[in-house]
Order: sequence, then C-alpha cells, then structure tokens
Amino acid sequence: MAREPIVHFDGMSIPIKAGQSLAAALTAAGQRTFRETSKGSSRGIFCGMGICQDCLVTVDGAPNQRACMTLAHDGMQVSTQVALAPLMDAPPLDRAPPSRQISPDVLVIGGGIGGLNAAIAAAQAGAQVVLLDERKVPGGQYLKQSAVADEPLDVQQAEGQKLVSAARAAGVEMTGGVEVWGAFDGLLFLAEHQGGALVIRPRKVIVATGAYERPRMTPGWTLPGVMTTGAAQTLWRSYRTLPGKRVAIFGTGPLNIQVALELAQGGAEVAAVGEAASKPTRNIASGIALIKANATLALKGVMMLAGLRHRRIPIHYEANLVGVEQVDGRLAVTYRDSSGTHQTIVDALCMNDGFEPQNEILRLLGAEMAYDQDFGHLRCRRGETMETTVEGLYAVGDCAGLGGAPAAAVEGRIAGRAAAASCRDEALGDISGLHAQLRRHRAFQSALWRMHSPAPRTLTEALDETIVCRCEEVTLGELRQSLTDKPGHAGTMKRATRAGMGRCQGRYCGPVVARLVAEETGQPLRDHSYFAPRVPIKPISIAAILAAQEALDGQI
Amino acid sequence: MGRYDVLVIGGGIVGLTAAIASAGQNARVLIVDAGINAGSNANAGSLHVQLQSRFIRLYPDQAPNVEASLPLYLQAVREWERLDALFGSFDLVRKGGLMLAEGEDQLRFLEMKARREEARGLSVEILDRRQLDALAPWLGPQIMGAELCRDEGKLNPLAANVRLRAEARRLGVEFLSDQVVSLHVDGAVVRAKGQGGQVHAAKQAVVAAAWGSGPLLKGWGPPVPSRAEPLHMNITEPGEVRINHLIQHAERSITLKQFGTGQIVIGGGWAAHDRGNASVPSVLAASMLGNVALAARLVPSISRLRVLRTWAGMNTTVDGKTVIGRLPAAPNIIVAVPGDAGYTLGPLVGRAAAEIAAGQPPSFEIANYGPSRFAA
Ligand SMILES: Cc1cc2nc3c(=O)[nH]c(=O)nc-3n(C[C@H](O)[C@H](O)[C@H](O)COP(=O)(O)OP(=O)(O)OC[C@H]3O[C@@H](n4cnc5c(N)ncnc54)[C@H](O)[C@@H]3O)c2cc1C
Ligand SMILES: Cc1cc2nc3c(=O)[nH]c(=O)nc-3n(C[C@H](O)[C@H](O)[C@H](O)COP(=O)(O)OP(=O)(O)OC[C@H]3O[C@@H](n4cnc5c(N)ncnc54)[C@H](O)[C@@H]3O)c2cc1C
Ligand code: FES
Repeated sequence: MAREPIVHFDGMSIPIKAGQSLAAALTAAGQRTFRETSKGSSRGIFCGMGICQDCLVTVDGAPNQRACMTLAHDGMQVSTQVALAPLMDAPPLDRAPPSRQISPDVLVIGGGIGGLNAAIAAAQAGAQVVLLDERKVPGGQYLKQSAVADEPLDVQQAEGQKLVSAARAAGVEMTGGVEVWGAFDGLLFLAEHQGGALVIRPRKVIVATGAYERPRMTPGWTLPGVMTTGAAQTLWRSYRTLPGKRVAIFGTGPLNIQVALELAQGGAEVAAVGEAASKPTRNIASGIALIKANATLALKGVMMLAGLRHRRIPIHYEANLVGVEQVDGRLAVTYRDSSGTHQTIVDALCMNDGFEPQNEILRLLGAEMAYDQDFGHLRCRRGETMETTVEGLYAVGDCAGLGGAPAAAVEGRIAGRAAAASCRDEALGDISGLHAQLRRHRAFQSALWRMHSPAPRTLTEALDETIVCRCEEVTLGELRQSLTDKPGHAGTMKRATRAGMGRCQGRYCGPVVARLVAEETGQPLRDHSYFAPRVPIKPISIAAILAAQEALDGQI
Repeated sequence: MGRYDVLVIGGGIVGLTAAIASAGQNARVLIVDAGINAGSNANAGSLHVQLQSRFIRLYPDQAPNVEASLPLYLQAVREWERLDALFGSFDLVRKGGLMLAEGEDQLRFLEMKARREEARGLSVEILDRRQLDALAPWLGPQIMGAELCRDEGKLNPLAANVRLRAEARRLGVEFLSDQVVSLHVDGAVVRAKGQGGQVHAAKQAVVAAAWGSGPLLKGWGPPVPSRAEPLHMNITEPGEVRINHLIQHAERSITLKQFGTGQIVIGGGWAAHDRGNASVPSVLAASMLGNVALAARLVPSISRLRVLRTWAGMNTTVDGKTVIGRLPAAPNIIVAVPGDAGYTLGPLVGRAAAEIAAGQPPSFEIANYGPSRFAA
C-alpha cells in the first residue's frame, strides 16, 4: 500500500492532504510556531492571505517562504525560519519557466468576486482579458474555493465555483500563484510566476485586490495561535483544517459571527464570540433598514445568530480583548464586557476588528483617495464607470473602500463593460440598472455596519507594552515616546522608530501611526498622511527582479 | 534683536551638526526646516572616501574637484567616528570599501586611481581574486579583483539622525517647521522670511538648505549652482551578516552594503523621477530593475533575499566640491552645502559652519571652498 504523503518539519513527519497549504498541514498537526524574530520571539500563521509574513518557513533550502501561500508536497523538507537566513545563490534562471510579456486589452488584478465579475463582463463585451491572482485557490475571500475537496461546502462556495467556470467559458485567461509586485506609470505591471517574470502592458487595468483585516492590537496578539478571523476561515473553507479544537473570536463585524458558526459546524468548540458593538436589539432602526435593503441577506444574518444560539455559543456584546498569554501551549484570553473581566483558555484566538483596503496599486499609480471617517480608511475616488482619476485605471470591490461582496460583484460588472467599451472606442450602453443594484447593496452594507463598530478603535487606553508594528516589534510606548518629538508625518515616525519598516510593509501599523500623528498635529487624515506607497507591492526576491530585468533587457 | 544667535536654515545632517556644535558652545540656536526632501532622510549611510566611479563617468567635469577634496573625506569619516563615540551608537563600521573590477581594463583603471588616491593620503590596495576570496568569498565568479580602500565604512543613518536630533534637543536647540522664502540683512540681524510671512531673526544664519540653497541665495552675490538630483534606493529583508565592506564597481553605478540588522542596502546613484518639491520623487522601473539586477550579478548570494522596499530621495550636487564660508555680500550669512557624498561630509561641514559663526578657525582649511568661487 502506498505511504501517506508527508512533509518533514524540523525532523517530524507531518501528514498532508492533496491541495493543502503548508500552513494548513502544520496547523492540523498542532504546529503553531513557524518562524523566530530577531528579538527571539515566535510567530506563526496570522493573516492567512500572504501579507503578514509571519508564517515564513524554509522550504527545501529556500528561506522565507510563506507557509500560507505554499502548497504542501510529499517529501518537502520544511524547517522553522531563523531570523537571519543564510546567504546563498538562487537556482539558475534557466530552471525557472521562461519569462512572458503580454499586452491584453484588459488586465484584472485579483480574482475575488469583484475581479471575476469584471473579467467576465469585459470578456463578454469582446475584450481580451487576463486575470491574475496571487493565491493558488481562486475566488478571493468571499468565494474562496476548496483546494482539498471537490464538493462545495455551501451555497457561497458553489456560487464561486460557477463564477470561476463562467470566467473560463468567457475566454478569460486566468492564472493563479502570480504575485503582481510592480505597478508603474503608463500602466506597466511586473509580476512573478513560479520564479519567472511576467511583464504586462495592458490597455486598461481593473484593480480588484480586496481588503485585509484590521487586527485588535492587544498585549499578546503576535503569539502563535492568534490569527485573523479570515485566516481561520481560509484554513477551514479552503483546506478543511480547523485553527484549533477550542477557539475564541473577537472584534467587530459580521465576518466574526459567520466564521464562528462555520468553525462550530466544522467541529470546533467556540468558547466565546466577542463583539465590540452593543446588542442589535438596542439598534432597531438599523435592523429595519437592513431588512428593507435586502431581506434575504438580513434573514441570513438572523439565521447565523440563531445558529450560534442553538449551539449555545455565547456572543458577548460591548466586549473588548484585554490580553493574550501563553499557558501550557494554549492561550489564555482575557476580555472585558459589561459584566466584568473574564478569561478563557483556547487553542486559537481569531480576531477581526474591521477591514483595510488593499489599495497599494491604486495609491502607487496616483489614484485620488479621500479619508472615510466612518470606516477609518481611504476610499478611492471613482466615476460612474469605476474609473479612478487615473485614465485607464479602474477600481472595484473592497480595494476601493469597504463595500462588501454583492457591491463588489456589481462594480466589477460595470468596470468590465466600461473598460471593454473604452478599449474599442465604443459607447457604453445603459448601466442604470447596474447602478440601481449597486445603490441597494450599498444601502444594505451601510445599515449592516451601523450594527457593528467599523471605525478603528482608539488606543488611548491601550498599554505601552502593546506591540503595534509586528514585524519590527515596536511597541505603542515607543510610538508615544516618539510623538513627543512632534514627528509631523507618519514617515518621520517610521524613520525614528522603525515602525513600518518590516516585511508586511506597514500594513498593520501604518494606519495606527498615521492616526497617532494626525491626533497630535490636529490635521485631518488624507492620502498623504499614510506611509508613501512604494514598489514592491509585496516583498519580492532579488532573483525575480533579475528575471524581470533580463526579460525587459533595455526595453524601459 | 532676535532671541537667537544662530538661525540654521535646513535641518539635514549639516544643519543638525552645525546646531549641535553651536549650541554646545552655548549659542541659542533655531533650526527652520521645510520638512521636504532632505537627502539626509533618504541616504544610504555609505561613508565614502575613495573616488566614486560615478563622478568620473557621469560628471567628468567635477572629477578634479572631487579628487582635490579627498583629504576632506578622510577627515569627515574621523568626525563621524567622534560623533559615534559621543552620541552613538550609529552602527558605524569601518572595515573598508571594495571597488570591483570585472575586466582587465577596469583593473588597470583602479590601479591608476589607487595611485592618485594614495598620493592624497588614502589607505588603498589593489587585490587580486585570490586575495579577494579571503575577504569576500560571496562575490560573483566574473570579478577579477578590486581596490580596497581601508578608510571607508558605513553607518545606519536612521539611527544617526535620531540620536543627533535628540542631542540637539538636549542642548536646547529649537526646531521650527517652515520654508524660508527670502533673507534680509539689517545691520547685525539676519531676518529669514517664512512661507506664511513669519520672520525668523538671529545674529547669524547658516544656510544648510542643500538643493534649496541656490534659490534662497539668489541675489546675494554669485549664484550657488546647487542642483537637486532625485536618486533611487532598495532594501532587502535581513539575512545572515556576512558582508562587511562597502561594495562599489569600477565602472557602473552601485553601492551595496549590509546593515547590522542584516538588511542589504542597494543604491549608488540610479535616477528617480522628480515630482517637484511638494512631493517626494517617484521610483522608476528601469532604476529598480537595473540597480537590483546589477547587485545580483556582483553578489549572487543575495539573490534569495527579497527586496522589501524601494524609495527615492533628493540628493544635492554642486560642482564636486563643498561650499562653506561667509557670503562676501553678507558676512553674517554662512553657506554650508556639503556636495557629493554629502552625508559623509555633513558633520565636518556642519561643524565648520558653527566654528565660522563663532569666529573660530574652522576644522579644515576652507579657503578653496568658499562661495565666492562661483563669480564668473
Ligand atoms: C479575510 C476575509 C474574509 C472574508 N470573509 C467573508 C465572508 O465569509 N462573508 C462575507 O460576506 N464577506 C467576507 N469578506 C468580505 C468580502 O469578502 C469582500 O467584501 C469581498 O470579497 C470583496 O471582493 P473583492 O473582489 O473586492 O476582494 P477579494 O475577494 O478579497 O479578492 C481580492 C483578490 O486579489 C488578490 N490580490 C491582492 N493583491 C494582489 C497582488 N498584488 N497580486 C496578485 N493578486 C492579488 C487576492 O489574492 C485576492 O484573491 C471577507 C473579507 C476578508 C478580507
Ligand atoms: C537616495 C540617496 C542616497 C544617498 N546616499 C548617500 C550615502 O550613502 N553617503 C553619503 O555620504 N551621501 C549620500 N547621499 C547624499 C546625502 O544624503 C546628502 O548629500 C546629504 O544628506 C545632504 O545633507 P544636507 O544637510 O546638506 O541637506 P539635506 O539633508 O538635503 O537637508 C536639507 C534640508 O533643507 C530643507 N530646505 C531646503 N530649502 C529650504 C528653505 N528654503 N527653507 C527651509 N528649509 C529648506 C529641506 O527641506 C531639507 O530638509 C545620498 C542621497 C540620496 C538622495
Ligand atoms: S499567514 Fe502567511 S503571510 Fe500572513
């Protein structure tokens, strides 16, 4: 009989399932620590989507590989990532797939619900469309597909399966595992695919890169076993792996409720769900607005709450995390709600305190942004067709500012049609119907979020010891100290404290630093308040840059 | 009368060290800085001493001036060591710099260059590949040899800037954010008018405004030809610390070094795109690709590391030589623009500005470096 497939991790044999990510396989085997920081602390999976860079491991000799983005293969040699990887030559370029240069009519970056809809609409309108996504599993966040099972988990996954097939049928060229790391004026994009370079000069580009999760910064939030709610959801929905046997989920918003139920249905014991907002029964007006905007979705929300109640999973309202500590290989989670301070022991703590748009490409290309006070993040200015203030650059879905999956889908359809029409100098037909749908979805979203608390929480009461920059391990105390020097800009504070200088490129600490500085100067937040956008969009190996340089050899 | 003895215009490395030296002698000092595009915030922390090939190649007209200034660079590195001991650590390491040759002709060029540098007092030596292997076994196979300049080094400019700023504050230096638009001399008082109309007055002014110096000094005698030059940089994630030297190339623009954090910093004068003084320069694809690819060919063993970030900043060039001295037309205005490898030269030039302001003999002979040389 054939041996079960395994990977070797620090000398142990870890069983794997076909299609599983390394992060999922290690998590299933109870391994939580993936890398060590230069200050000697341990880290593991956090974001589950390739941005936090805390799941780094060494794979077959190659250092700093993201376990969450790496497919597990039988016989792989995996080890804990040391802080300073040895210097070593890369495999010769001729072992990488040949580089490619393409000039599609429409390039779609991001294959979530927004990008898939955009690609389908553009292709159906006659454009030649290329869709690239960093993940190997298609569908983005909302529609993420399973990598280990053929049968969709539920309606949501089935909808994704249909959309992916529809994109293929419409003739969209879809490639996964492609990291778009460079975006330059004149619409030049540089990407990496399996070590080779991909150079794209599209006529139009639709950015649909989605959002990432805002964490709840609290002492202990960097411990292995603490992860975002989305990371836990990806473990389960894409890899049928539970983040732990017993879990707690804290933060705000509908995702926490949904994932609590999904994990419970998958067999996890959900110890507690903490929501920062007050109980919905105290917010009847928003409830009515929800039902008016979309009764089906409102009902889905009610069913989820009922599902939790049925399983006797308590939701604590007005709840806030106080801290997390490691106790005997598990996590002691302390939280406070109206009834006092409580502690619960779990294997994994999930957190989602709202979302931040992945707007790096839009900002790099100079698209105009405005600060949205209610959500506490930038929104991209767009016209009727979802075109930004940069000609030929469209933005759809959460990357332009939180809007939710149904709105992302409609925005995608609008942008896809508009980009295709503009490629062929054709008039864009009537899109008023799509705009009517979009208004309805947006009304639902805004009513939904009024029941939660989407603005970033202030850190006024947080302890000095709270880490704000995970990568460089910079604490709130250090940032407060540097405020006394009146930095005047986030970039100045970054240079003084190193906050934002690490591998995640300031995605988590950046918004906090910008807000701290704004509070100090009394200036309103705007695009310029944040760290300056720069390439690479994600860390990219020198070998991949060399490949791109050779591919372009003198052409730029 | 102003409350201040010395008004420093520009808060980069020159302004900061001028302020520290003045305040250290009990002068009351105000730094007014526009807060935009300081080279000191963007620079790579290379302590340059040997002639950079980029000047010989890009600005051959400036090469003689740079060569004549070589002893100044030597002295400047010593000034950095002094500051590091007093206010550091700035992660200052002085293990020398290697300028690589990929062919016979490049090696010949380095031999010629080394002879000229030796004559100016630099400690240099030509190494063949075997000798190089003992120092830098990680170099690409095509490297034939190199010039070693023992005087060179590197430091972490972020650490240096933070520590020096703290020292200035400790000494009572005041900081103000404003852009000076014009200078007025009224007997024993210099008045600097700010963007919003605010006037900053002091007995003397040090103009340490880098690229802003030329425009600000317009009308005050022969024009100071300061030029803004937007430059590109790259930095990687940390790796095992093995690269001690500052790495350069005999013919091509590159500097490569490793910080104490393990991060590799790659730069050396690749162009960025100027977007005016309201915003920082933007990064050009050609520079990022060209600069990093060159680094990968010279030091293949960094190829597995990932570039975390690129940035661009504003360098200032003049004519290959520092500008330091009182304005003939207004002796209570002192110009202090360091010129090429200006971060290396910064503290020495800043200190000289303070010495001039205090009526003391400056730390180096400034006769050849005065602003009057620009008279047609
Ligand atoms: C973690 C998480 C979980 C969520 N779960 C739910 C849920 O269960 N239910 C729900 O109703 N809503 C959920 N949401 C919200 C909902 O997913 C979004 O509103 C919706 O997915 C938006 O679609 P989108 O197309 O804008 O982005 P996404 O679906 O996020 O898709 C963006 C895609 O772009 C790719 N990408 C990003 N940057 C690059 C790059 N540089 N190069 C290549 N590819 C790139 C990403 O890999 C991703 O696949 C979730 C959001 C997040 C962040
Ligand atoms: C990317 C890059 C890398 C570099 N690497 C190195 C290196 O490795 N080694 C090295 O030796 N050198 C390096 N340099 C050069 C070096 O950084 C500069 O020469 C040096 O920092 C100049 O210092 P400064 O104090 O003269 O001026 P700056 O640091 O440029 O500061 C000038 C300040 O004056 C302000 N200012 C301008 N006009 C006005 C005005 N009218 N009113 C008020 N304020 C004003 C500006 O806003 C700025 O803050 C590099 C430069 C760049 C751009
Ligand atoms: S968990 Fe893999 S990058 Fe965040």
